[in-house]
Amino acid sequence: MIIPNSAVHLLDAAAERFGGKIAVTDEYESFGFDRLRSLGLSIGAALINSAAGGYMAEPVMVYLPKSGKCVASFMGAMYSGNPYVPIAYDMPPNRIQKIVNKLDGRGHIITDYDGKKIIEAMDVPETMRVHIYDEIINEPADEAKIYAILNKVIDTDPIYIMFTSGSTGEPKGVTVAHRGAVDYALWVQRTFGIDENSKLGNQAPFYFDNSIFDIYSMLLTGAEMNIIPEKLFMFPSKLPEFIRDNNITVIFWVPTVMINVANSGALSETEMPTLKTVAFCGEVMPNTQLNIWRKNHPDAVYANLYGPTEISDVCTYYIVDREFNDADPLPIGRACENMRVIILNAEDEPAKTNEQGELCVIGTGVSLGYWNRPDLSEKAFVQNPANPYYEERIYRTGDLAYIDDEGLIMYCGRMDNQVKVKGNRIELGEIECAAMAIDGVKGACAVFDAENERIVLFVQSGSPLVLRKFNNELKRYIPKYMLPGKLVVMDALPHTANDKIDRVTLKKSLSDID
Amino acid sequence: MSIQETISEFIREHFEIGDDPDFNNDVHLFNEGFVDSFGAVEIIHFIEENFNIKITQKDITLFPMNTVNEIAAVVESKI
Repeated sequence: MIIPNSAVHLLDAAAERFGGKIAVTDEYESFGFDRLRSLGLSIGAALINSAAGGYMAEPVMVYLPKSGKCVASFMGAMYSGNPYVPIAYDMPPNRIQKIVNKLDGRGHIITDYDGKKIIEAMDVPETMRVHIYDEIINEPADEAKIYAILNKVIDTDPIYIMFTSGSTGEPKGVTVAHRGAVDYALWVQRTFGIDENSKLGNQAPFYFDNSIFDIYSMLLTGAEMNIIPEKLFMFPSKLPEFIRDNNITVIFWVPTVMINVANSGALSETEMPTLKTVAFCGEVMPNTQLNIWRKNHPDAVYANLYGPTEISDVCTYYIVDREFNDADPLPIGRACENMRVIILNAEDEPAKTNEQGELCVIGTGVSLGYWNRPDLSEKAFVQNPANPYYEERIYRTGDLAYIDDEGLIMYCGRMDNQVKVKGNRIELGEIECAAMAIDGVKGACAVFDAENERIVLFVQSGSPLVLRKFNNELKRYIPKYMLPGKLVVMDALPHTANDKIDRVTLKKSLSDID
Repeated sequence: MSIQETISEFIREHFEIGDDPDFNNDVHLFNEGFVDSFGAVEIIHFIEENFNIKITQKDITLFPMNTVNEIAAVVESKI
């Protein structure tokens, strides 16, 4: 097959093959493939008509409630030859501002009227053009003009920039190329047999790279992507009902949701006869809960996928093919086709079997780096130290892993202060920076309390603080999923001999905290 | 006790809100941080048991349930 230069050609092909068949459904509306394409062309035309011009791509921030409108906007960005930047609709304006700054204030924002008011209260330069979704979808689309631009796109151009937590409080813009998303969609199609009869039950937020699975396999295969209403995830016991009522055949969810559904008891109460594929990625999936799924729905295929945002979603996978005891760890398996995984030990040499080291990834899905942060990119994306012969770029994940006797990769944990809380990737440093911005806070140290699955924030402050009110302050700077579950106020934070905050001591004190 | 009072009392006790003056029947329980996202399940469980009703995925999708009054309205429509 010919790999398209831009992934949006997948939509062109799907619109031709499937016409009005439903592509995307959300709780309010559905778009057929032809409608999705015409919306994308109009949005693309509006972006092109207001473009500053010049050689470099102009990022298109999409700041809308999670919906089919977001997907249409992503298509529009691609039709205009630009990468899209998904922004959570509930992201604090302070954090959006940091992203605008990181984009050097160039590009576009697609939003609604409420979003526009929030943007107008921020410091957004005129070089960042603000578009209202409901207005630009009526823009007449001059296809000749659009395709003249689209034909200049090459498959190493950025398709999206996803901002993830940064340890210094600055979100990092992971930039991925078209070829990564297309290559991944082809792998998803082959591995899970997704076709035009498939119905994908989308859980992943669009600012999270797991959504690439749903969006691009929908475009490639003609499957329907059903965006599950976000608020249903607060009620995990009701999710199997949604799968049943909507005839969902494939889900690709974050383990936290899988765990919550299993623990809710709903799996034994609700039949999900159409559900055939259950894949998950984003954090460790415990066998205790996976076994509840397997026991109640033994005919589904279960797959454990692994991949950091710096890859086009996934680089290793394990199709669950045998019984596991509840306490067993689940392998992350083997590299996906057209991806290579190497484990480098402390000497930067390939680790032996069963020797732990840093998991590193090579392949077409590896990110182009962090947008506008060459310093950070240089550290994480490096020459393969085991290859002196030609340029071979690897991504150092910071994840520890080993390869077992069967050749399966086993995940062991992190090398730094990055944590996963309910599937969300968080740098503890970002929480600390936000806490320091609050009046009266003289020091802050965030620690992950694995046993209770929460972040405990130690704060140096002269006055007593109440968690609820403190979190309402923090919410001005960081997303809700980063908020601490426990606040400990101290007169002084403990320090090590070289004057750093003593994380080890604070971590040890967790067992004394209720 | 009215439906509102029953729900309000449960939330105050269960989430240890006490007599916080910011709490009332119209306050957004989740945005204002009175209840975390896991607490939503406990509220639904309580109203299903206490009022002997069934809340479906469609109810949750269609009706807002962010305040005591909103939750009470859904309960009322079911009994």
